[in-house]
Amino acid sequence: MGMTGRERLLACLEGRKADRLPVLSVCQYVTYGLMEKTGSYWPEAHYDGAQMANLSAGGAEVLHLDAVRVPYCQTVEAEIYGSAIKDGGRTHLPSIEKPAFALGEEPAIPDNFTGRGRIPAVLEAIRRLKERVGRDTLVMGSLVGPFSVAANILGVSALLKASLRKPGALIPYFEAAEKTAEEYAQAIIEAGAEAIVIEDMMASLDMISPKTYREMAAPYEKKLIESIGGRVPVIIHICGKLDQVMEDVAATGASAISVESAVDVAAVKEKFRQQGISTPIFGAVHPINALLEGTREDVAKAVQASAEAGVDGISPDCAVAPDTPVENLLEMTEAALRLQPVN
Amino acid sequence: MADKDILKDLKQSILDFDEDAALELARESLAAGIDPVEAVGVLADGLNELGVKFERMEVFLPEIMLASDAFKNALSVLEPEIKKKNTEGKKAIPIVIGTVQGDIHQVGKDMVATFLATAGFEVYDLGVDVAPSRFLEEAKRLGAKVIAAASLMSTTRPVQKDLIDFLEAKGVRDQFIVLVGGGVVTQEWADQIAADGYGQDAIATVNLAKRLLHVA
Repeated sequence: MGMTGRERLLACLEGRKADRLPVLSVCQYVTYGLMEKTGSYWPEAHYDGAQMANLSAGGAEVLHLDAVRVPYCQTVEAEIYGSAIKDGGRTHLPSIEKPAFALGEEPAIPDNFTGRGRIPAVLEAIRRLKERVGRDTLVMGSLVGPFSVAANILGVSALLKASLRKPGALIPYFEAAEKTAEEYAQAIIEAGAEAIVIEDMMASLDMISPKTYREMAAPYEKKLIESIGGRVPVIIHICGKLDQVMEDVAATGASAISVESAVDVAAVKEKFRQQGISTPIFGAVHPINALLEGTREDVAKAVQASAEAGVDGISPDCAVAPDTPVENLLEMTEAALRLQPVN
Repeated sequence: MADKDILKDLKQSILDFDEDAALELARESLAAGIDPVEAVGVLADGLNELGVKFERMEVFLPEIMLASDAFKNALSVLEPEIKKKNTEGKKAIPIVIGTVQGDIHQVGKDMVATFLATAGFEVYDLGVDVAPSRFLEEAKRLGAKVIAAASLMSTTRPVQKDLIDFLEAKGVRDQFIVLVGGGVVTQEWADQIAADGYGQDAIATVNLAKRLLHVA
């Protein structure tokens, strides 16, 4: 008897044997095609828990992934801190229009953080997803890592420059963002999510040096994961060529690491083996070359290549582009199914 | 200080991403009678050197951003002098550049803008989150023949196509050279949306702009 997607992914995250490689999208997977198939659309689905759940359920009911997730954008926390958000309408994700703070201003934490902004809608969506698809599919709540929240409330340029010039001035922002992430994670777990995704896309080596990652991003990721305390598994996603810091990412205590195909997964797995690190790695199907622009054959090849490199779960590198054809996403699931069982 | 030393220090100010030193040395170079074009060349060498280290992952984005600030500081002093000298020469070619609507990534676009300015183009930076209509308005207002649009996210790349479709719909597509670039952009994508060119990085974009505009 095969496992359900939920069982398969949980087994993988908990270090148990699964019947085959799980397939999921660690980051957002909504496309225009999925909106049409589910009848729920952006921008409503960013704000309304029922619409959000209906759209995300498409991950299970249409795409047959082993996990579903909410929300879609990375602005939920920053909005509550007071960053101005620009709505993306039907076709785009909300983005930061104006950061909440200038460097030096105190990052005051709004009280009742998880009752504000779009968090209640996210929590409602998690409850609904659990009810609707949660028996067979893992329901994941996604939040933004403290370093990236700091970037979204201070501005990316200001944060990056200060990381070299005035690193000490950034600490209050990281601390605040970590504290609110703890509260948010708690609420996500209470709503019934069975896994948490931490997206810390600004902690990428495309943006910062390994030293900055180790000093300013990893400690807060680790603290957040410690506060979750193993109640649910945590998948951490960081973009870019992370090879130089993969051991540091593993040391945050995450249950799995989601990476881009820029990472040499085979080499990292070998390094992990030598050091006795067993953290699973998810990836690395290129969202543009394979999923968006590729043929079904290209997608199948990318899935095969990821498996051969040694990933422990098949996932796109990063957020799926909203104009990605649904057929290509389906091919990712089907190609994962055709892979030989793991030993 | 000898001219050679000033130029050496000027370049070093970029490698050290020292904004204050860059400004000071740019002033010194003018006071010493150094050709501002030569001074800008030295600054560009410094940026290029950092660019190579960046590709090798020896330096990272924050260093590049601060170096770019240092460069702009020096340029603010040198550029007016170059313009004074060039009044008898031909006019610099205007280019509008921006990151597309919905995308607030600034850094890569800034680098391209900086390199285009170094290469002698008159660069109008529209910033980030730029709507297709605004690209057109500004290009018209400024008499720019070139529109450079960056997208750094898989979720905003379709907006480059929106921009080209918008120009088509307004019946002005053939009046502009549209360049696209950004981390998620490929030559294939540029071909698919019928952009006039794809710049893989700042240096490639400068060469592309020169080639398409038939300037040396």
